[in-house]
Amino acid sequence: MDKFIGLDKLARFFAIIKQNGGITGSLFKLFRQDDLKVGTLVGEDKYGNKYYENKMYFYGRSRWVEYADHYFLDYDGSQVPAEWFGWLHYKTDYLPHQDPGRPKYNWMSDHKENMSGTSRQYVPYSTTPPKIHSWVPPKAK
Amino acid sequence: MFRVPLTRGLPSVKVVHSSLRATATQAPQKIDVYIDDKKVMVEPGTTVLQAAALAGVEIPRFCYHERLSVAGNCRMCLVEVEKSPKPVAACAMPVMKGWRIKTNSDMTRKAREGVMEFLLVNHPLDCPICDQGGECDLQDQSMAFGSDRSRFTDIDFTGKRAVEDKDIGPLIKTIMTRCIHCTRCIRFASEVAGIDDLGTTGRGSDMQVGTYVEKMFLSELSGNIIDLCPVGALTSKPYAFTARPWETRKTESIDVHDAIGSNIVLSTRSGEVLRVLPRVNDEVNEEWLSDKARFSYDGLKRQRLITPMIKEPKTGELIPVEWEDALVIAGMKIKEAGRSVAGIAGGLVDAEALIALKDLLNSLGSEAVCTEHTYPMEGCGTDLRSNYLLNNRIAGVEEADLALLVGTNPRFEAPLFNSRIRKAFIHNELNVAVIGPPVNLTYDYEHLGDSPNVLHELLYGSHPFTSTLMAAKHPMIVVGASQLERTDGASLLAQLQQLATTLMLRGNIDHNWKVLNILHSIASQVAALDLGYKAGVSEIRNAPPKVLFMLGADEGAITKEDLPDHTFIIYQGHHGDAGAAMADVILPGAAYTEKQATYVNTEGRSQQTLAALTPPGMAREDWKIIRALSEIIGNKLRYDNLNQIRVRLEEVSPNLTRYGYAEEANFTAQASELAKNVKGNTSSDPFDVKLKRLEDFFMTDSISRASSIMAKCVQAAKKHRENKYFGSQNE
Repeated sequence: MDKFIGLDKLARFFAIIKQNGGITGSLFKLFRQDDLKVGTLVGEDKYGNKYYENKMYFYGRSRWVEYADHYFLDYDGSQVPAEWFGWLHYKTDYLPHQDPGRPKYNWMSDHKENMSGTSRQYVPYSTTPPKIHSWVPPKAK
Repeated sequence: MFRVPLTRGLPSVKVVHSSLRATATQAPQKIDVYIDDKKVMVEPGTTVLQAAALAGVEIPRFCYHERLSVAGNCRMCLVEVEKSPKPVAACAMPVMKGWRIKTNSDMTRKAREGVMEFLLVNHPLDCPICDQGGECDLQDQSMAFGSDRSRFTDIDFTGKRAVEDKDIGPLIKTIMTRCIHCTRCIRFASEVAGIDDLGTTGRGSDMQVGTYVEKMFLSELSGNIIDLCPVGALTSKPYAFTARPWETRKTESIDVHDAIGSNIVLSTRSGEVLRVLPRVNDEVNEEWLSDKARFSYDGLKRQRLITPMIKEPKTGELIPVEWEDALVIAGMKIKEAGRSVAGIAGGLVDAEALIALKDLLNSLGSEAVCTEHTYPMEGCGTDLRSNYLLNNRIAGVEEADLALLVGTNPRFEAPLFNSRIRKAFIHNELNVAVIGPPVNLTYDYEHLGDSPNVLHELLYGSHPFTSTLMAAKHPMIVVGASQLERTDGASLLAQLQQLATTLMLRGNIDHNWKVLNILHSIASQVAALDLGYKAGVSEIRNAPPKVLFMLGADEGAITKEDLPDHTFIIYQGHHGDAGAAMADVILPGAAYTEKQATYVNTEGRSQQTLAALTPPGMAREDWKIIRALSEIIGNKLRYDNLNQIRVRLEEVSPNLTRYGYAEEANFTAQASELAKNVKGNTSSDPFDVKLKRLEDFFMTDSISRASSIMAKCVQAAKKHRENKYFGSQNE
């Protein structure tokens, strides 16, 4: 009956608003992520990113990440660490902490996000000598 | 197919001023010869090769070169002459009346193919790694005239001839196995360069070109044997393995390392000058080039000013800034100084920048625009052009019968002028006399002493040489401009003018012939004097300005000690040298390879360089910088582009934009009349020249001083001096 007159939509709307932290919280999330979704929190990585799943959404949109608050608007896909990448992209249905086959060694390095476009980006140094050698002014005594 | 244009083989290519050919002898009867059944009328004594060139047929050759003597040893130019049992060597055989020459008959072709086969027997097939590849006469001619298949099987038995490479200096790389014994280098060395170091040993397939003893081949013209070598036996050491000729961009330009203004071609690729080659101009450099002009191009890549700089007031260090900051500070200081602004122009500055600077300073009310090098301003000073030009022209030496060199060493001040004198000395029996230090000029001369008193004696007839001088029909007095920088320069010049007038008044001289010639060694000097610059910086030294604008002035005419502390120095130029080191603001300009600019050589011939590259970094063309500065000061100059500034140049001195022509300079009589007003006595200090030895020659300006190749040359020349085989002719 609810379904018939569309009350379930209304109920989901309120559920979404509620899960996302009320009206202000929802507006903030809308501003930050352009999307409001409801789902179960399946895990959180060491950087504070939260991973959600809701099978109600169709395949491809049913798993998502909400980036940690400190990223604010500067979030991008490279901030998802490698262990969560597979789950998020439907390569596996195991969550990282439930995956029995996932290797864990001491020597495995921490995840590093892509720094391109920032001051900490990788710049390769030139291996060719400069064509023009400029004059270096003598040091004042 | 050949790199040598057809017209070069013509016997008529000779520079003569037609007005000077006042001979009454009848032109010799021409004779008729037939080249491939085409009739040509030639003068008796013409060789088969030259006659063929007249008919438009190019005969292949290796050893023949029109500016060298005929050797006739490569045999590549064999052609069939009708009724002759054997083919004849076209380069050495004079034509006879009615000869029928077949340049494309079976016999000719077979002869060429045979010669080519013999040459290739002992020539390595290393074209892919040879620097001559693409401009190799042997490569080209074996394609055109060689056999299409090889009969060479000896490689498995005795193999090819191999010859040890020689170390003949830092400029020329030798791969002697490639040598085909054309002896062009030997002939050039002994005929043009005047260094009889090269020669052959052995004969037949054991023949080798070398220096006999272990010594270097060092001369101010040595680089030309690279161009002469038809194969890759002699190649350029600095250019080794850098580029192929077809992948470089060629720009025709003018050399600025001396006042000759040699015509050059700049080969560039990927923003670098890779090499400099001479361009044929019979009136200036023929087809030779001095080593400084040819090899100092690596100086263009070192010690460059690529960003504007200002001196930090606290630390006193020059820091790189943006153009705006530098121009605003410079403009502010010039505005504050009011009329107390002065300018000095250095030796490599083009006419466009010179006029822009002069216009700017004049518009501010300052008249103190000077050149770095002094020239006497007494008498008519620089008002009459004949007073500071090489009036007889460079090519005019070939018509002279006596040259009196006063206080100059043309061998190092103007190597190509010296090679002309040597050419006239050899072919026209030119007599040379020298007043000045007894330097080696590569030809014999009569040394009249090194005292200026000799001039006086010549003038009053008490010197034994006077009679020879007076008897000469086409005497030439060549004065080194550096002598006129002496304190008694004015009276020296007056004396020389008097001597020249006396010679003219003898009456046996053609009235078109000029006697007095000034040989400059600075590329910018003539243009600066044409534009009305004051010669010498004494004015600035006497009344130091508040702001000094140094336009490429690096020779230390004015140093920090000559100026009070509050003088603000603006340096504009392309190299960090003496000038930049003392500056408060540096404005980076363009070198001669990076701008289209006008230069005037010592004979008054204006020529223009073309931009082969863009100026590096933030550097800009010089006149544009001054134009920008003028706008910031508020005295905007009237020109916005090259055409407009050239119109301005033409307003001031019309000869400056007549490119390629040397404007006739007259009023010699008036000049010498005015010179009589000059007071002061000549001191008896002996004449001295700065450049005495080969090692002095290589580094003379900011570009060549920055060049590491030139530094190597200086080292080599010094080392060469210690060689036990270093003889008097190398001195």
